Amino acid sequence: MNEKRSAFFSVFIIAAVILSFTAADLVQEDRLYSEAENRVLASRPKLTVESLFSGDFTKEYETYVTDQFVGRDKWILVKTYTDLALQKKEVGGVYLGAQGYLIEQHLPENYTAQQVEEKLQLLEKFVEKWDARVMLVPTADNILEEKMPAHAPRVDEKALLSQVENRIGAHSCIDVYSVLMEHADQEIYYHTDHHWTSLGAYYGYLAWAEAQGFQPAFSPEDMETVAEGFRGTLYAKAKLSPRTDTIHYFPRTMEHIRKVTYDLKKTSDTCYEWSHLDTRNKYAFFLDDNHALVEIDTGSQEGGTLFVVKDSYANCLVPLLAAHYEKIYVMDLRYFNGRLFTFMESCLPEEGEMDVLLLYNCIHFLEEFKYVQ
Amino acid sequence: MVFSSVLFLFRFFPAFFILYYLVPGRMKNFILFLGSLFFYAWGEPVYVLLMLFSTLVDYGHGRLLERLQGRRGAGLVLLSSVVVNLGVLGFFKYADFLIGTVNALAGTSLPLFHLPLPIGISFYTFQTMSYTIDVYRGEARVQKNLLDFGVYVAMFPQLIAGPIVKYRDVEECLHNRRSGVLEISQGLKRFCAGLAKKVLLANNLGELWSLIQKQDLGQMSALTAWVGIVAFAFQIYFDFSGYSDMALGLGKMMGFSFPENFNYPYISASITEFWRRWHISLGSWFREYVYIPLGGNRKGLPRQLLNILAVWLLTGIWHGAGWNFLFWGLLFAVALMLEKLFLGKVLSWLPRPVGMVYTALVVLLGWVLFSLETPSQISGFLQAMAGAAGGLADERGLYLGRQYLCLFVVAAVGSTPIPQEIAARLKASRTGLGMALYRLGEKVIPGALLILSIAGIVDASYNPFLYFRF
Repeated sequence: MNEKRSAFFSVFIIAAVILSFTAADLVQEDRLYSEAENRVLASRPKLTVESLFSGDFTKEYETYVTDQFVGRDKWILVKTYTDLALQKKEVGGVYLGAQGYLIEQHLPENYTAQQVEEKLQLLEKFVEKWDARVMLVPTADNILEEKMPAHAPRVDEKALLSQVENRIGAHSCIDVYSVLMEHADQEIYYHTDHHWTSLGAYYGYLAWAEAQGFQPAFSPEDMETVAEGFRGTLYAKAKLSPRTDTIHYFPRTMEHIRKVTYDLKKTSDTCYEWSHLDTRNKYAFFLDDNHALVEIDTGSQEGGTLFVVKDSYANCLVPLLAAHYEKIYVMDLRYFNGRLFTFMESCLPEEGEMDVLLLYNCIHFLEEFKYVQ
Repeated sequence: MVFSSVLFLFRFFPAFFILYYLVPGRMKNFILFLGSLFFYAWGEPVYVLLMLFSTLVDYGHGRLLERLQGRRGAGLVLLSSVVVNLGVLGFFKYADFLIGTVNALAGTSLPLFHLPLPIGISFYTFQTMSYTIDVYRGEARVQKNLLDFGVYVAMFPQLIAGPIVKYRDVEECLHNRRSGVLEISQGLKRFCAGLAKKVLLANNLGELWSLIQKQDLGQMSALTAWVGIVAFAFQIYFDFSGYSDMALGLGKMMGFSFPENFNYPYISASITEFWRRWHISLGSWFREYVYIPLGGNRKGLPRQLLNILAVWLLTGIWHGAGWNFLFWGLLFAVALMLEKLFLGKVLSWLPRPVGMVYTALVVLLGWVLFSLETPSQISGFLQAMAGAAGGLADERGLYLGRQYLCLFVVAAVGSTPIPQEIAARLKASRTGLGMALYRLGEKVIPGALLILSIAGIVDASYNPFLYFRF
C-alpha cells in the first residue's frame, strides 16, 4: 500500500509539471516580439494542403510552439544557472570573468589569415592615400587577462597589431595596447557591455594627443557620472548581470562644441543625447548611437579639420577631440554606401590639409572595415 | 516529432495520454494507433503511407503463412516478405550509396535519387521482418486483428529509434495489458530519466563535440582530440540510451514491457561484452535472424569467424549507408574474432580494468570511424589523437576540458551502475535516514530532471539577435 501511495505521489508531481505548464501555455496569449532576445517570435503558421504535405507546416508549427512557450525567458535563466552550477565559465558567447566582468568571446578560428590580409591591404591603401593615424583598440579579452577564465581562447590582437605596424609603419600607429595594458586594473571596459568606458577612451585620447603632438585638453577629474544601472550588450547575450555599470562623460567637451549635424539632417548642440539614457541602449548616449556621418563644428578659429573613420568604440572618444579642431567629420562605413575617397576629398578644406584618424577595435576592424575608393 | 521537444511534452503527450486513459479498454489500441499515425505523419506527412504499406504487406504475409501452415509455399511467402522489406529499406537507404559507388568505380555518372530517408525505416522494417520470420518458424502466432498488428508496427514510443521490439515480446501485451498507478509512475520516472540523459548530457556534450569538429585538424592537440571523441562517446550513448529509456517509459505507461536496450556498455571489459550491453535489441535481432541461421558457432571455428564477420559488416551498414560505417563494423568484427581466437582468454587472466581500457580504446577508435565521414578526416583526427598534429596539449584543449569537466564527471558516473547501486542501498538500508533519503529522492529527482530538461529544450531555441551590437 505504501508503495502505491508513493507511486501516486510521483505521478502527481510529474503530471502536475506537464499539465500545469501545458495549461498555462494554452491560456497565454502569443507575443509578437521578445524583448530579451530582440527578435520577432514565430507566429501561428497558415495551414494549406501544400504546406502540410511538404512538411513546412509542421516545422513552422513546431517553431511557433517553441517560440511562444510560456515563461520562455525564465527557462533560459534556469538553463544558464544549470551551466553555472556545472562550473561553466561561458554563456552565450560571453565569458564570465572574475569580479563580475562579462567579456565578449572572439574565437580565433573565425578570423582567417586571408581575411586579415584583405583588411591589411585596405588599410595600407587608406593610410598611403591620407597619411592617416590608425588607432586599433584591443578588446577586453586581450587586456583584462587576469579576469579571463583560465586558458580561454581569444584572438591574439597583439600579433595583429604588430602585423599592422609592419605594414603601415610605426609612425602611423597609435599604440593604445600598451596604454590600456598599463591601466588594466582600472575600469576601462564596461562589466556588461563590449565597449570601452569613457575612462578607457580617455587613455586612448592621451595616446592620440601624444602621437599628434597636442597638449591634452582634459584631465581625468573632468569626468562625471551621467547614468547608473547600465546593462549592456553582453548582459543581453548572457542574461546575467553580476553587477551593473556606470556611464561617465566629459561635460567640459560641450564648451568646445557649437553644432553637431547627424546625417546632414538632424542637428544638436552637443555630442550627447540624453534621451538614450532612458532606454536599454544607454551607450547610444554618445554621438546619438550610430550614424553614417556626423559633422562637428566647434567654432574654434585655430584648429584645422579632422576626418574620423570609425566604429562604435570611437563614439565616446570623439567628443574629446573637439578641443583640437575647428571641424570634425565622423564616418561609420557600415552605413555609408558612396565612394570613400571621393567623399573625403569633398571634405578637404580650401587651404589644404586635413588630419585623418582611423579608429576601430581590433575585432570590428577585422569584421567591418571595408570601403569603396 | 521528437520526445525532447516542447511540442511533444506540452501538446502531444498530455493530449494523447488523457485520451488514452479516458477511453475504455478495447478502444485503447485504436487511440494508440491513431496517435501513433499522427505522431509519425507529423514528421513524415508522405512516408506515413510507406509505413502503412509495410504494415499491410507483413500483415498479409502473416495471414498467408497461416493458411499454408508449413506446406511447400510457405518458404516462398517468407522469401517474398523478406524481399519486400529489404527492398524498401535498400531502396531508400542504400540506392544512392550503391549508385555512387558504381559511379566512382566505373567512372559512370548515373543519376542519384536524392530521397530523404524515411524516419525510423531501419527500425520498423526490422520489426515487421521479425514478425513474419517468427510466424514462419512457428514461434509466434499469427495476428488476425489488423489494428493490433498496426499498433505493433506503428506504436509511437519505439517507432523511430527503437528498441527493436520482436513481435513475440509484445504479442501478449497487444491485447492484454494493464496500466495502473504503479506502471504509470515507473513509466513516467523512466521517461524523465531518459529525457534528462538526452537533453542535459547528450545535447551539451554534443555541443562540445561540434565545437571541436570545427577546429583545424592540422593543428589540433591530442588533448583536444581526446576530449572531443570522449564527448562524442558520451553523447551517442546518452542520446541513444536516453531515447530508449523514454521509449520504455512511455511503453510502460501503457502497460507494455519493451526489452532493455542498454546495460551500462561502457563498463565492458571486452568487445564481446560490449555488444551484449550496447543496443541489445539490434544485437539480438542479428544474432537470432542472421548469425544463428548461418550456423552460429555450431559449424566449426572458421565458419563461426566468417559468421561474425558477416553479422558485423551488416551491423555496420545498418547504421548508415557509408564506407565509414562498414569499417566501423569491420573493426568490431576483427576485435570479436581475435577475442574468440585468443584475446578473450588473455583478457580473462588479466585484471578487469585492463580489459576495460582495451575495450574503451577499441570503442573510441570505432567512434572516430563512426562520427567522421571521409578518410582524410579520419586519418587527420587519428593523427591529432596521437599528438602528431598539434602536440599533446594546447590552451584550447585545456580550456574545453576544464569547461566540461563537471559534465564529464556526471556523464562518467552516469554511465556506470553506481547511481542505481546507491539508490538500491538507500532503499535497503534499515536506518530511517537512508530510507528517508530514498523516498525524497524518488519523488524529487524525476520532477527536477524534468524541469531542467525543459529549460534545456527551450534554451536550444534561444536565438538572441542583437540589433544594437555595435
